[in-house]
Amino acid sequence: MAESDLIRSARFRKEREADWRRLETLVTQAERVGLQRMDFAAARDLAALYRNATTSLAIAREISLDKALLDYLEALTARAYLSVYAPQERLGGLVRKFFVSGAPIAIRRSWLFILIGFLCMGLGVLAGYQLFLENPAWYHVFMPPELSGGRGPTSTTEELRQVIYDQDPSTSGLGAFATFLFSHNTRIAIFVFGLGVFLCAPAVLLTFYNGLSLGAFYALHVERGLGSDLGGWLSIHGVTELSAICIACGGGVQLGAAILFPGKRSRRAALRYAGRDAVKLALVAAFMLVVAALVEGFGRQLIQDKATRYVIGWGLGLCWLAWFALGGRVRQ
Amino acid sequence: MLAGLVCLGRKGAAMKLWRRTDKAATSSPSELVPPEGVPIYLEVAGLGVRLAAQITDIGITLIAAIAVLVLILSLGVGDPSTLLAIGSLLFFVIRVPYYVIAELAWNGQTLGKRLMKIKVVSHDGRSLNTHALVLRNFMKEAEIFLPATLLLTLDASSPVASGVALAWILGGLFVPLFNRHRQRLGDIMAGTHVIHLPVPVLLKDLAQVPVKAAAATKSYTFLTHQLDHYGAFELQALEKLLRSQEKGGVLVRSKNNQATIESVVEKIRQKIGYANKVPEAERLKFLGAFYNAQREHLEKRQLFGERRKDKHYAAEDSPS
Repeated sequence: MAESDLIRSARFRKEREADWRRLETLVTQAERVGLQRMDFAAARDLAALYRNATTSLAIAREISLDKALLDYLEALTARAYLSVYAPQERLGGLVRKFFVSGAPIAIRRSWLFILIGFLCMGLGVLAGYQLFLENPAWYHVFMPPELSGGRGPTSTTEELRQVIYDQDPSTSGLGAFATFLFSHNTRIAIFVFGLGVFLCAPAVLLTFYNGLSLGAFYALHVERGLGSDLGGWLSIHGVTELSAICIACGGGVQLGAAILFPGKRSRRAALRYAGRDAVKLALVAAFMLVVAALVEGFGRQLIQDKATRYVIGWGLGLCWLAWFALGGRVRQ
Repeated sequence: MLAGLVCLGRKGAAMKLWRRTDKAATSSPSELVPPEGVPIYLEVAGLGVRLAAQITDIGITLIAAIAVLVLILSLGVGDPSTLLAIGSLLFFVIRVPYYVIAELAWNGQTLGKRLMKIKVVSHDGRSLNTHALVLRNFMKEAEIFLPATLLLTLDASSPVASGVALAWILGGLFVPLFNRHRQRLGDIMAGTHVIHLPVPVLLKDLAQVPVKAAAATKSYTFLTHQLDHYGAFELQALEKLLRSQEKGGVLVRSKNNQATIESVVEKIRQKIGYANKVPEAERLKFLGAFYNAQREHLEKRQLFGERRKDKHYAAEDSPS
């Protein structure tokens, strides 16, 4: 049978079929072992044949009415496209990039939102403190009972002191670490970030409320003359943990702000754009929370000295600050 | 499809109605434009198959978490009273990186997705980047796992909080129903969606075999005016019918099939005004030759810029 006996689209197919078959085997290979582990010639052929196949597809759509051929080419090109345009970054490099430059730069870029987070918390503390001094009954309004652990305006100073300098070994170690990580503050951090998307309000309110209860709690101890002791007890992990909440709040507010004030973008595009930094903030907050839980689970009960607690807590805070301020700066 | 062929000759409205419902029934394809500039159409994965993949993944991570938990217990590190806290921490610590790393390493597929043959693709036709994968899996935590944990830990004593958590989950699950690409909230933010992996299967070219056979024996020839009756849709319906005649290299010889073939041949003969009777043994050969001629004709017309979508092409062209 002569070539010219065939109709045009059949000839078109016959000339290219061998290439398509080869592309098919290469695509299966790439999907099985990954593009990185294919040898040079195979990888080169995959890319070249994929580009040929896209051309074939474009032509076939114009000249051929053979449904089987069209379906095959559509599927083949799609599969080849997906394996040619696979992500080609290495995991180790990604982690390093995040810690060295990605995270601190994102933090610096969204300083305004993080400032808002810290403001919410700070104002909450101030308000809680003042309200408690005015009327101790506020304590019960702000403080969830499961969080205070039985501490309240009715407990004696001695009881309060005991909790701060507690040496019960059962509340230390891995179990305590896990418990602390899933305790109140982590949940708050996740909420303030996740809910920020709903027009900022929940994130701001929750952070403020968290500040309120903290302020009332602090005021209770100050009234009994335990202010600096509580400061130490809170500082050792609180500097890290509360900062994490504020940063998470910053991320949430950033998402909410993108919806409220999208600027020249569409809301969807603005949300996507804001998400780039917000996710990094959330990751940083998560990392800080893990560190805080480590310190809380292992450190708080072991270190009983007030001064050491202050030093560790604020020293850790300084480390964070240094990371955020200096990380990822390119030397001129 | 067969029904469509049998009623090839029937007039207008009923046929159009039938085809419209058919089009609505097929799932919506998504269009991707790769950097090469040739659009690719991929079928968007439905919620059911994605849920199945999700359940598989949750099962895998849960089993891994339990295994590690048992290991920790056997080493005597943990305290039984904090078992639940350690367990949920392990589940969390294994689950979050699992999704991100799996989707990075396998190009948008976790084990569950591999099993279900679905895949995450980037909306803009470029390759998936880390940011998108991290974002979409982080939002999964916020959308599903967080309220689910809440729902599990809260008890009947706080109906309001349970209600909020439930509404939250339902809201998250409803988002995909309201957009064309079935995107979760995380998908929208990351600019991704999930598709079915297409399977490339190359069937043999129908136009290649019958030509030889027809050239060897008495061939059917069709005149140009006889080929002006049908369009691409009917041609492809005929292609499907002809392909269904052979299953695994063996001809299908059921009575039902014989009757279908006969009615199709008669309809075509009537429509195009083909005078000669077609003997029973020659029917498939006739259809093959007609397919060949019709395809050649239509493709030629298409090259000249006249696409004939279906047999109503003439009515569409001339405004009445």
